[in-house]
Amino acid sequence: MIVETPTVDPDHFEQRTGWASKPEGLCKGSMCVPAPEAIAADGTLDVATLAARLDMPLVRDEATGVAALGPESPGHSLTTAVAPELTLPDQHGNPFSLSSLHGRKVLLVAWASW
Amino acid sequence: MSLPGWQALHAEYEAAGFTVVTVALDIDPEKARPWIEAAAPNHPSLIDTAHVTNELFGFNNVPMAVWIDETGTLVRPAEGASIEARDTDSPLPDDLPEPVRELITEARRIPDIGAAYHAAVVDWIEKGADSTYALDPEAVIAASHPRERNHAEAAANFELGQHLFGTEGKEAAVPYWREAHRLDPDNWTYKRQAWTLETTPEGEPSDLFQAPTEAYEGSWLHDVRAIGGGQNYITVPEFLR
Repeated sequence: MIVETPTVDPDHFEQRTGWASKPEGLCKGSMCVPAPEAIAADGTLDVATLAARLDMPLVRDEATGVAALGPESPGHSLTTAVAPELTLPDQHGNPFSLSSLHGRKVLLVAWASW
Repeated sequence: MSLPGWQALHAEYEAAGFTVVTVALDIDPEKARPWIEAAAPNHPSLIDTAHVTNELFGFNNVPMAVWIDETGTLVRPAEGASIEARDTDSPLPDDLPEPVRELITEARRIPDIGAAYHAAVVDWIEKGADSTYALDPEAVIAASHPRERNHAEAAANFELGQHLFGTEGKEAAVPYWREAHRLDPDNWTYKRQAWTLETTPEGEPSDLFQAPTEAYEGSWLHDVRAIGGGQNYITVPEFLR
């Protein structure tokens, strides 16, 4: 995820990475990593601490100060079989959430113009 | 660009409680738009400019798919997906330029899994968890793409390039995309997305040829040959190996 500030909103972090900020720590599926030092008094998450605790690469562009936080590793691209909450714009630009299809079988397929 | 095929599958089984969601991995939504309008989907047709689904599911090429059951649980991990049989043996015109002939010949070596994949999807739609193709959660995780540190670093580099492409322009993105290609050479979405921005002629919707460029080390034909040919190009589901 793109980060332009030293701390990030936990809801955005969860939406983008699947890791939720809970009382027991940072959790994804059944896995929780205790990280009290990552959570600031105002509830925001410290990016550098997240990167260290969850083994996420942080790549910064010096010219602009913008950075990207990569996914956790090593492991598998899936750490849980629970589908992540995913919201993306549809072809009309309206946000669509995968969770709205709960109760149906879904085949999610990636394609591209290229 | 098999959107019409996915739309047809959706239309046929929508009443059976099945939905197709298509996700365009396109940094520029306008590139995807003509294909979407031509297919006129009534299934959710989403645009993923940042290739977020690469990271969340492990897509590293297209088309790739995951299956999600009624409880929101993945029953198949990211793997090659196809819905239509491909032309793999009709004679090529004699006057075809040699580079194009080489490219088509290599592309025809890509495993043609459309018919068997379609049958597997239908089996799952009809039998649900009793389908032999529906995996339990542990098997789904174990079969998902391994992610080492280099893959994670590549994802960060690709996304940083994607962001800078939008805010600073293509020149700012290229170094990060080159680094993503170096770190994760098996990720075709990183490579093809970057190559197509160099090779697509002005005013054209896309360029599937993706010939060598000055900006990047690789090209489609070169890189496919480097992995042993088109037969190794996709992640074939284990039930088709």
